[in-house]
Amino acid sequence: MSSELKVVLVGCGQIADGHVSEIQKLDNAALLAVCDLEPVMAEQLAVRYAVPHHYTDYQKMLAEQKPDVVHICTPPGSHLPLVKGAVDAGCHVYVEKPLALDYRESTELVDYVQKAGRKLTIGHNSQFEPPIMELRDLVARGVLGDCIHIESYYGYNMGGNFGKAILGSPDHWVHRLPGKLFQNNINHMLNKITELLPDERPEIRAMAWKHGGPAGFGDVRDDLGDELRVVIRGKDVSAYGTFSSHVKPVAQFARYYGTESIIHLDFVSRTVAVDRGATLPSAIGRLAAGFDQSLRLAGSAARNAARFLRSDYHFFAGLAHLIRAFYDSILHDAALPVAPRDILRIAWIMDEIFAQIHGATS
Amino acid sequence: MKILVTGSNGFLGSAVVKRLLEGGERGIRCLVRPGSNRRKLDVLDAEYPGGIEFLTGTLNKPADCEGAIDGVDLVYHLAAAMGGAPAEMFAGTAVATKNLLEAMAASDRTIKLVHCSSFAVYGVAQLGRRGMVDENTPIEPRPDKRDLYSHTKYVQEDLVWQYHRKSGIPMVILRPGVIYGPGGPPMSARVGLNLFGIFLHLGRKNALPLTYVDNCADALVCAAENCRFEGEVYNVVDDDLIGARAFLDRYRKSVKKIPYVSVPYLATHLMSLAVEKYHTYSNGQLPAIFTRYKSASIWKGNRFDNSRLKSIGWRPRVSTEEGLRRHFEHLKSEATQ
Repeated sequence: MSSELKVVLVGCGQIADGHVSEIQKLDNAALLAVCDLEPVMAEQLAVRYAVPHHYTDYQKMLAEQKPDVVHICTPPGSHLPLVKGAVDAGCHVYVEKPLALDYRESTELVDYVQKAGRKLTIGHNSQFEPPIMELRDLVARGVLGDCIHIESYYGYNMGGNFGKAILGSPDHWVHRLPGKLFQNNINHMLNKITELLPDERPEIRAMAWKHGGPAGFGDVRDDLGDELRVVIRGKDVSAYGTFSSHVKPVAQFARYYGTESIIHLDFVSRTVAVDRGATLPSAIGRLAAGFDQSLRLAGSAARNAARFLRSDYHFFAGLAHLIRAFYDSILHDAALPVAPRDILRIAWIMDEIFAQIHGATS
Repeated sequence: MKILVTGSNGFLGSAVVKRLLEGGERGIRCLVRPGSNRRKLDVLDAEYPGGIEFLTGTLNKPADCEGAIDGVDLVYHLAAAMGGAPAEMFAGTAVATKNLLEAMAASDRTIKLVHCSSFAVYGVAQLGRRGMVDENTPIEPRPDKRDLYSHTKYVQEDLVWQYHRKSGIPMVILRPGVIYGPGGPPMSARVGLNLFGIFLHLGRKNALPLTYVDNCADALVCAAENCRFEGEVYNVVDDDLIGARAFLDRYRKSVKKIPYVSVPYLATHLMSLAVEKYHTYSNGQLPAIFTRYKSASIWKGNRFDNSRLKSIGWRPRVSTEEGLRRHFEHLKSEATQ
C-alpha cells in the first residue's frame, strides 16, 4: 500500500463537513471524491472543499476512484449495503454512528468487514476528545485506583442545527430509527461508560419520556422522547447515564469514582480535575480542598490555553484523532482505534435500552 | 389564474400573499411545511375568507412538489433556508428548488415562475468602491468564497436558469437587496456585526440596498403582471436609499442605544487578512468569519440601480423614510414587550 491513502466519502449531509475538513488536514490521505444520491448535495460539498470529483452513483465512484478508505456518512439504514459495497471493492470503512439499525445488523456488518480482512471504525469521535485521552493516562498511572462507579451526562441542544433539522421535518431519518433521537446520540453517553465498564452483558435499567418542548405538529415529532435515564451494573462497576434535551446550559461531562480519587471530565470546557479529598483535618481541610479543586481546574484551563496557542484546540479534536488513528491502523497495521467488541457492546446496550423504553414516548 | 406561493409564511412570502389578496386574487395555494407556524397566513385567511388554499407539504419531497403545482398557472418561489448547517441550507434552498423545477418541467401545463433571488448572486467583490450594481453586473464567479446564504442563492438561481434553458420553464427573476420592515431582520450585516458583545460598524457611509417588504412584494407581482417570462431579471431596491451609518444612527435613536466601534474599510480589509492568515496558520482553529473576499463583497460599498424595474411600472409604494419609521417602531415595541 502506498504511503498516502485514497479516500472517498458517501453521504453529503451535515456531518460530512467535519469529515472532509479533517481528512484534508492529513498528509497521509487524499480525499478524491464525494458521493450523494442528490447531485446538488454532492456538488456543493465538492465545490466548497475543492474535492476533485463528485458522484451520484456509489458503485461508479468505487470503480473509478479505486479508494483505500470509504467514509460512510449516510443515514444508518443504508450503512450495511454501503459497507458491503465498499468491502467488496477492497476498501476499509469508516462508518458514522449509529453503526446500523440494531445489534443484529451491527453484528452482520462487523462480521462482513472482518471476514474480508478489511478494517472498520465507527464515528465514536467523543471517545478521542482530549479529556478522555487525559483520563486514560490518569487511569494508567493508577490515579483513579479501581473504578467503582461512573456518571455520564450528555446534554443535547435541540435548538442546534441538527436538532432543528429533526424538529423541522417528520421525514427526517432520525424519526425512523428504532431508538429515534436517543439512538443517534447516546453513544456519546455510553462510550464514556464502556470506557471503564468491561462487562459484555451488564444489567440495564432504562426509562425515557418526552419532557416538553415543541408539540402540536400532529405527526411523529409530537412523540419524540427527549429525556433518558439509564442505570447500568456490571460485575465490579456500576454507572448512571443521563441524556437530557432540556437542561440549560447544554453540558457534557463524566465522573469516574475510583478507590483512589474521583475524576471529573468536562467535555464542553475540556477540563479535567482530580478530586483526592481533603488531606488536612477539620475546617482547614475543607477550605484547602476548595482551593485545591479550583487550582486543578485552573491548571486544566491553562493547559487548554497552551493548546490553543499551539493551534491544538480544534472543535473536531476527537474526530481528527479518530480519523488519524484509523488511517494509521491501516497504513501501519496498528490496532484499531475502536475495538469491534466495543462497537458491538454499545450496539447491544442500545438495543437493550430501546427494548425497555419502547412505547414510553408514544 | 391559479397561483402557488412557496415560502408563503415567511417574512416576504406573507407580504406577497397579502399583496395578491389585496389585488383580488383568491384561492392562492400556500405551501406550508408540516407543523410550521402559519400565524401570518391565518390572519390573512381570516381577513380574506377563501383567499388562501393551505397545502401542507415540503419542497424537499418531490411528491409534495407535484401536488403543489397541480392545476397551477403561476408560481411565486420565495422558499429558501435562512440559516442552519451548510447541508441543511443547500437542501432547503437548492434541492428544494430543484424538486420544484423538476415537477414544473414534468407537468403537461405551462407554469410560469417568478423566482425570488438575491443581490447576493452578484460578483461585487470585483467591482471598484462605489461601483454600480445593476442587472448587467457579472454574476458571482466564486460563490464558494462568499457566505453560505450567498452560495445557496447562487446555486438556486443557477438551477432556475438551467431549467429555463433545458425545459423551457417561463420565468422571471427578481433580485432584492436588503428586505426590511416589521417582522423582518432588525439589521443587515451590511451595517455591521456583533462580535463578542461589541458591535463593529463596518458599513459606515456605504449605501444600503434597502427594499421595504411591501415594496418588494409589489415588485414580484408587478414583474408577474408585466414581463414576458423570457428570463428577464430585475433588481429590487427602493428610492432614497440611506447609508449604513444613517441606519445605525436611527436604530440607536429609535430602538436601542447600542455601543459600537466604527471600522474604516481599510481596517476591515486588514482585519480580514489577519483572520485569513490565522485561519490558515491554525488549521482552522477559529472560523474565517472575515475574509478579504467576503469583506469586499459586503462592506466595500456600492451604488444601486432600480431603473429597469421602474421601466415595467413598479414604484415604491412606501417611502424609505416611512418604511424605516415602521421598521424601527416595530423593533422598539418588541424591545419594550
